Amino acid sequence: MNTVAVRARRTPLSEHTIMPPCQVACPLHMDIREYVDLAAQGRLMEAMQVIRSGNPFPSICAYICAHPCEEACRRGQVDKPVAIRALKRFALEFGGDRMIEVEAETTRSERVAVVGSGPAGLACAYYLRKLGYPVTVFEAHSEVGGMLRVGIPRYRLPREVLDVEITRLTKMGVEIRTGTRVVSLDLVFDLGYRAVFLTVGAHQSLRMGIEGEDGAGVVDGATLLRELNLGLTPALGERVAVVGGGNVAMDAARSAVRLGVPQVSVLYRRTRAEMPADPREVEQALEEGIEFQYLVAPVRVRTREGRPEVTCVRMELGEPDQSGRRRPVPIAGSEFTERYDTLVTAIGQAPQVPDDFHVRIGRGSTIQVDPVTLSTNRAGVFAGGDAVTGPSTVVEALAAGRTAAGRIDDYLNHRYPLAPSDSEEEWMGDLRPETVATIRTTGRLEPPVLSREERTAGFAPVELAYDCQTATNEARRCLRCGLGAAIVAPDRCASCLTCVRVCPYHVPYADAEGAIHIPFDQCQACGICVGECPAGVIALRKAGELGQVDEELDHVLGSATRVTSKPMIVGFCCQYGVYGTGTLAGLWRGLKAGVWIVPVRCVTKVETGHLLRAFEMGAEGVFVAGCGEQCARENTGHWMRQRVAKVKRVLAQLGLQPERLEAFMWGENTHDPTEVLDEFAARVGGFYLDSVLLQEVKR
Amino acid sequence: MIVAEQKPLEDIIRMVRPYKKVLLLGCGTCTTVCNAGGETEVAFLHDALRMAEARAGDGRREYSEATLKRQCDPEFLEHLTERVEGVDAVVSLACGTGVQALAERFADLPVFPGVNTSFIGMAVEWGVWDERCAACGDCRLEDTGGICPITRCTKGILNGPCAGPKKGHCEVSPDMECAWILIYRRLERLGQLERMRRYYPPRNFRPISRPRRIVGKAGLEARGSHGDVTA
Amino acid sequence: MATSLLEEKLLSGEFVVTTEIGPPKGADVSGVIHHVDLLKDMVDAINVTDHQSSVMRYPSLGACLLIKERGGEPVLQITCRDRNRLALQAEVLFAYSRGIQNILCLTGDSVDVGDHKDAKPVFDLDSVQLLRMIRTMESGVDMAGNQLAGAPKCCIGASVHPEADFMEAQLVKFDKKVEAGAQFFQTQGVFDLAAFRRFMQYASQFDVKILAGFIVLSSAGMARYMNSSVPGITVPQELIDELAAVEKGKGLAKGVEIAARFIRTIREEGLCHGVHIMAVGNESVVPELLAAAELVGVHR
Repeated sequence: MNTVAVRARRTPLSEHTIMPPCQVACPLHMDIREYVDLAAQGRLMEAMQVIRSGNPFPSICAYICAHPCEEACRRGQVDKPVAIRALKRFALEFGGDRMIEVEAETTRSERVAVVGSGPAGLACAYYLRKLGYPVTVFEAHSEVGGMLRVGIPRYRLPREVLDVEITRLTKMGVEIRTGTRVVSLDLVFDLGYRAVFLTVGAHQSLRMGIEGEDGAGVVDGATLLRELNLGLTPALGERVAVVGGGNVAMDAARSAVRLGVPQVSVLYRRTRAEMPADPREVEQALEEGIEFQYLVAPVRVRTREGRPEVTCVRMELGEPDQSGRRRPVPIAGSEFTERYDTLVTAIGQAPQVPDDFHVRIGRGSTIQVDPVTLSTNRAGVFAGGDAVTGPSTVVEALAAGRTAAGRIDDYLNHRYPLAPSDSEEEWMGDLRPETVATIRTTGRLEPPVLSREERTAGFAPVELAYDCQTATNEARRCLRCGLGAAIVAPDRCASCLTCVRVCPYHVPYADAEGAIHIPFDQCQACGICVGECPAGVIALRKAGELGQVDEELDHVLGSATRVTSKPMIVGFCCQYGVYGTGTLAGLWRGLKAGVWIVPVRCVTKVETGHLLRAFEMGAEGVFVAGCGEQCARENTGHWMRQRVAKVKRVLAQLGLQPERLEAFMWGENTHDPTEVLDEFAARVGGFYLDSVLLQEVKR
Repeated sequence: MIVAEQKPLEDIIRMVRPYKKVLLLGCGTCTTVCNAGGETEVAFLHDALRMAEARAGDGRREYSEATLKRQCDPEFLEHLTERVEGVDAVVSLACGTGVQALAERFADLPVFPGVNTSFIGMAVEWGVWDERCAACGDCRLEDTGGICPITRCTKGILNGPCAGPKKGHCEVSPDMECAWILIYRRLERLGQLERMRRYYPPRNFRPISRPRRIVGKAGLEARGSHGDVTA
Repeated sequence: MATSLLEEKLLSGEFVVTTEIGPPKGADVSGVIHHVDLLKDMVDAINVTDHQSSVMRYPSLGACLLIKERGGEPVLQITCRDRNRLALQAEVLFAYSRGIQNILCLTGDSVDVGDHKDAKPVFDLDSVQLLRMIRTMESGVDMAGNQLAGAPKCCIGASVHPEADFMEAQLVKFDKKVEAGAQFFQTQGVFDLAAFRRFMQYASQFDVKILAGFIVLSSAGMARYMNSSVPGITVPQELIDELAAVEKGKGLAKGVEIAARFIRTIREEGLCHGVHIMAVGNESVVPELLAAAELVGVHR
C-alpha cells in the first residue's frame, strides 16, 4: 500500500513564504502569523511556544507592547487590524506560559556585565545566558525591571507578570544585583567582566523651560510614577493637571485617578489626532473621567498658598514639523490661568549617563553607538535601549537587547559583525481595493476590560484575557499574508484559467502572453486553487500546509485500521473555530467508537483523493465538516461540496451508496452537529450491516 | 480547445482488468484545461482505481502515473520510452488523437481511452464547457454573425430557426439558447440582417470526407530528416 | 392546368380543408385504410406525417400510396431528418412516378425528442433547401446538375409557426420558403387567434395559400404534455382551464368544440385560405369536427 503516492505527486515546494507586514513591523520580527494561526486552531501550547521562541519576555509584551504589528496589519485595510497583542496574551495564559522554564548552561568563561535591568538589559542577559555566558545585571534601584518596574503602572503590567519573567531569568543563572549603581566602567572591567552592555534607560524628565517649573506642587511624570511604583503614595490633592500627550502623561493621569484624585486634566499642545499615546489608552483615560484640554500649553507657574497657579496659552496648528506633525503656534492674547493642587510635567524623558562612563553622548543626551553592532566608542562597551534611542517602546528595547547579545557574542568571538540583511525583494504591498472588496469583513473583537468603577478603585489590571471563543474568532481574522499560493511549475501550467475562475478574491490573472500570475501580496492562502488546479502545479508557500491532510489521514488510518470491531467512519473536520478547538473531536470520541477525526486546516484543503483514500482503507462512511458561518470566506462550502459530489459519483459507479459521503457546514445546513452526525452514523451503520449480511448470503 | 470527459469508472476497470502493470497517462494540454485528463485527474483516477480494487478485494494492480505535455505529437511520446518498459497497458487521458498517437508509437502496447473526446469548445464558466465548433471544414461564420448554426443548432440547419424554440431556447436542450435566435439578434445589432435573409445552399460535406489531412508545407523534396515528422 | 387536385382547389379561391393521419407503428395498415375511407370525401387532401415527433412508423410514402389507391388526395410529408439529398431526391421521383404530387417540405423534429434517440440525425438539407431541391428537379436536373430522365412536377408546401417564440427570425425563414417556391403553408397548431391575425397581416402580401393548422385537444393533460414536450407548441392556460372544467371522458368533445369555434371564426373573418386539421390519433372525430365547424359540404 503506497500511502505516500498522494504526497509524492505534487511538486515538492521548499518553504518560500514571504514575511508578512506584521512580522516586518515587529522589532523582534516575531512569527505573528504562525502563532495567530495556531491560536485560531486552539493549539495554544504550540502558539505559546512560537511566541516564546521569538521573544524573551512575551508575557510582558502581551500586556504593554505598543504593537507596531497591528499598525502594519493589512486586515486594517479591510476593517480593523487583528488584535495581535491581546491574542498573544490569550495564547500565553491559556497555553501555560507560567509553567515554562528556560534552561541555560554555562559554556563560556567570559563574563558579561549588563548595566541596568530594564527590558533591554534583561533581554540581553537572557540571550547571552542562552549563549552560555555568565551574566551579571547591575541595577541601581532596589527592584529589578527598570521602566517596567518604576515607570509602567501596575494596572497596565501586573507586577506578578514581571516577577515571573525575572524569576525565570534568575533560574537560568543570571545574577542580578539590585541597589548597585555602577559609577565606573573601568571598575566593571577590573572586576573581570569582558564586555559591558549599557542600558541605563531614559529616566530624566525633560524640563518645560518655563518660569516656576521647580515650584512647590510641580512634579515630573517619571518621578511621580517611580515613587508610586516603589511603594510610596504621593499626596496629589484634589485637582491635578498633567502636561503632555504621550504614554507617560496617560500613565500619570490615570494613576492620579487611581490615587483618588477627583479632578484630573491633561493639557496637550496639539490635538487628539497628534497625541503620541496609544489611542486605546486615551480612550480608556476618557472613560475614567479624565478631562483633555487640547491646544493648550503652560507658559508660567506661580506658587500661591503652596499650590501651583498655571498660566496657559492657547495654540493653533501651523506647518508640519520634522516629525510630520503640525507645529503648534501660540495664539497671542489667549492666556488664561488655572489653579491646581499638583502639576505633573510629562513632556518627555532623556537618558542620564554618568560622565565617568566615558562613552560618547549624542543628541538628546543619548549614548552614541554603531547602529549595526551597538558598540560605543569604548572597546567592549555596548549600549542599547532608551539610553541610546531616547524613550521608546518595550519591544524596541527587547530587540536591542537581543541584538546586543548577538553582537557581544561576535565581539567575544572576534567575528566580523554582519548587518542582518533586510531583503525587500518581495515586500508585501497594500491590498488592492478589488481584493479588499471580496474579503468578508468581521469586526475586531477586543478583549474585555474592567468597568470604570472597578478600574479607578485601585491598580487592578484594566484589560482581561479573552475567552476561548472570542480569541479563536479574533485569530481567524488573520489574512495569512505571504502564505499564498504560487505556481511552482510554470512550464506545466496549461493556462487553463481554473485558478482565475475559482479564486474567491479574484487574485490570479492571465497576462497578455497567456501566462498565469498569482500576486503573492493579494493571495489570501485559502487553498481552493491548489485543490482545483488540473495540472497540479499550484502549491501554498508554506511547505507544511501541503502534506498536512495526508499526514493526519495517515496517522488516523494507521490507528483506525487496527481496530476492526466497528464500522469505521472518517471525518475531515475543520480545525479552526469553535469545532477546531477540539469540541467536535471530544464530543465524538465520547459518543461513538469507530469515528475517526482528521483535523484539517480548512476543508478546502481536503481533496478528492483524501476522501477516496479513506474509503480505500476501509471506511464505511466519510464526512467533511467545515466551520460554516465562522469561515473566513463564504464559498468554502461550495468548493467542499463540489469535491464531495465528484467523489459521490465515483462511489455510485463502484456500487457504493453515495450517501456514505456527506458534507456538513455547521450553521449553514444544520444547527446541532451531534444530531446530524448521529443520523449519519446510523445511516452508515445500516449500509455496513447490509453489506455484511450480503456477504453472509453470498457464502 | 478539445473538450473531453472521463469515462465511467466501470469502463476503465473493465479495460484494465486483464493487466497487471498499468500506466495512467495524462495530457498536459487540452484535457488538462477541460479537467478531464491533467495531472490532477490522473491522480484522482489512480485513487479511484485503487479504492475500487480495495473495495472489491480484487488482486492489486500496479498503477503508475505520468503526464506528458501533449500526447498528440510523436516527439513528446519519445519521453515515454523508458516509462512504458514493463508496463502491460496504458490508459490515456488524452483525446482520441493522443490515444491513437500512443498506439502508433508503441506497437506492442495495449492503449485504452480513459476519456470520451467530446467536442471542440470553451469553458463558459468554471466547470461548464460548451461546444462551439464542429470542425466541418467549411467555415461560414462570416455570414452568421460569428455564431455557428452547424454546432449550436441541434439540427445544424442553415436558413433560419425551426419552429421548435421555447423562450429562446432549443427544443432539445432547454439549457441551450437557440442558435438562430442568437444569430438574428447579433446580425440585427450589427446591421447585417441581410446576411440571414440570403439563401444558404446545402452544405458542402466534401471537406469532412474522412480521414482528413491538411498539408501546410510546400511539396518540396525533403533534404535530410527535418521535413517529415514521422520519417 | 393544375398539377394536382389540391393545387386546383388552392387556386380556386375556395376555402380549403385538409387533415392528416399518423401511420401505424407496424405493418398493419387497416387503421390507415379505415381513416382514409372515412375522410377522403370530406376533405380536400390528407397529409401523412413522416415519423412525427421522430417516432419511427410506417412510411409516409406508403400511406400516401394507400390514399391514392383508395381515391383520396394525398399530401406527402418529407422531413430532412432521416435522408440525405440522394434519398430525398429519390423519394420525390418515386412519389411523382406514382401520382403523388403534393409534398409538404419540413425540416423535421430532432431525433432527441423521439423514440430512437441514438439515431444519427441527418439534416443534410433544411426545409428551404428541400423546397429548392424539388424546384431544381422540376427543371430537369438533380442537385448535382445531372440530367433527369423524366422530371417531376409537384405542388409544394411548407410549414410556418405563427405563434413561434421569436417571430422576427421565423418570418425571415418564411420569406425564404416563399422565395424557394412554397405554394402553400400549413401552420403549426393555432391557439392564439390574435397572434394568427398578426401573422396573416404579414403573410397576406405574398402569393401563397395559408392553411391554418388546428390541433384537436383531447384533455387538459394532453395540452400540458404538449406544452412541456412538443417543440414550439404553447397551449394557453385559458384553453387548458376550459378542458379541465369538463367531466372525465368529455375532454375530446370539448377539444372538438374548441377547434370548431376557432375554425368558424377564421372562416367568418376570412383570415386565410383554409384549415389543416391535426387530430393526432383521434382521426375518427374529424367528421364530427367538420360538422361542428360548419365545413360539411364545403369541400369539392
